Amino acid sequence: MISRREFLAGVSGSIGGVWPLLSRAADESVALPGKEGMIVRSHRFLDLEMPVEYANLFITPVEHFFVRNHMHEPSTLDVSKWRLSIGGEVEKPLALTRAELLKMEQRTVTNTLECAGNGRAFAVPHVPGVQWQKGAVGTARFGGPRLRDLLERAGVKPAGKHVMFGGLDEVPGKVPPFIRSIPIEKAIDGDTLVALNMNGARLTKHHGFPARVVVPGWIGAASCKWVTEIKVLDREFDGNFMSPGYRMPNQPVQPGEAVNVADTHPATALKVKSLIASPSDGASVKSRAIHIQGVAWAGEADIEKVEVSTDSGTTWQPAQLSKNHSRYAWRRWSHFWKAPRGGDYTILSRATDSDGHTQPDSVPWNPSGYLINVVDQVKIHVPV
Amino acid sequence: MFRYSLLLAGSLSFACLAVFVCLARPHAESADLLPGPVPAKFKTACLECHDAGIIVQQRLNKAAWTKEMDKMIKWGAVVDPGDRDVFIEYLTTKFPTDKEPYVAPRTAFKKMKHDR
Repeated sequence: MISRREFLAGVSGSIGGVWPLLSRAADESVALPGKEGMIVRSHRFLDLEMPVEYANLFITPVEHFFVRNHMHEPSTLDVSKWRLSIGGEVEKPLALTRAELLKMEQRTVTNTLECAGNGRAFAVPHVPGVQWQKGAVGTARFGGPRLRDLLERAGVKPAGKHVMFGGLDEVPGKVPPFIRSIPIEKAIDGDTLVALNMNGARLTKHHGFPARVVVPGWIGAASCKWVTEIKVLDREFDGNFMSPGYRMPNQPVQPGEAVNVADTHPATALKVKSLIASPSDGASVKSRAIHIQGVAWAGEADIEKVEVSTDSGTTWQPAQLSKNHSRYAWRRWSHFWKAPRGGDYTILSRATDSDGHTQPDSVPWNPSGYLINVVDQVKIHVPV
Repeated sequence: MFRYSLLLAGSLSFACLAVFVCLARPHAESADLLPGPVPAKFKTACLECHDAGIIVQQRLNKAAWTKEMDKMIKWGAVVDPGDRDVFIEYLTTKFPTDKEPYVAPRTAFKKMKHDR
């Protein structure tokens, strides 16, 4: 929790002052300004989930955008002293100010960001971690210089194979720092950014001010917040959040079975997935004429189609996709349905991407509950 | 292959709609979420770095709680050797796999209008 006064101080601090410690805040009259109606999965560290009914817009307002932190957010930051360093396997190491980054060519990418663990709460057997249900996902317009341009300015040596990101997260105890890397091929993709803005405004503290990496189409963990260090490596970064963290089994494993890390690979691109934003699960609708709507995304692929079933999956009808369309961003979809009679119904949605992947009815269990993308469903009651 | 329970999803999300509570609990008071009796030193060992909310939402068996406890000790949680098993027993008893799901609070809600 953070008080209004402290929050305002935090906002001004994003210009050049000092951020307050979240844990100092104790004004019970103010919950979490700037984050409205969010599900609090964890308060310290702050993890906020978007209620699924907010998945009804192409661009998710920052107020409703999920927050995932592994550590404490930076308690203090003097942006006049902040620098983004680029080093490692480069010819000319750099240290750039935010103002210098703003002077570079700016690129805007509309990206659906999803936590790898979105849906973890549905894993059986249960797995430890933040018990995200459906809303650790959102779509925003991120703006800033291309990472490629920064790397070109620094001059990547032939030995450079991976690019590592370090942020200003404050690490408690002996917890390993949240450092990860991405392959050089993804780093030099023209859509991978060092983002300074989100939805046309400066990044907020919860979303990584003064700068964050945005790796479009990939799990949220790839998009390091409060980034201050970029380092080109000759191999994948060796750290807890690359291994054993954020890895998927190479083969399906039995539920509850331990997995040898040698038999895993890093989680990277998001999988095809859809969400039903309305009607809400458990709703008792007023009319038999029902507007079913939601969103669907597919990481680096496009959404090819979304289908809806109103009879528990026996038959499927195509949903209409919205015109708003941008690579890496979810598509809104809708389907009008008139219930034949009153009663209880199960509505399902399933998406298919441009690579031919369709959301499955079931997915193999994995020890961390990553990339769960089963068909979505809601149960509703239609009056007689 | 395993089918994840979407029925659970439904019941949880519906329950959350009914709980529009302000987040009005200072971090220090998150310990109130812990059902008693809480073992001595548990709060200081565990809540130094994170709040109780991340604990009470877990539904794990003893093997999984043991793995989590040992990870936390490795990551700096100060747990006396004699307390480790007591803590694991507490967590296994209070937050077992068959306990009803935890209903998370929400931040204060303000109705907003946005363009589609």
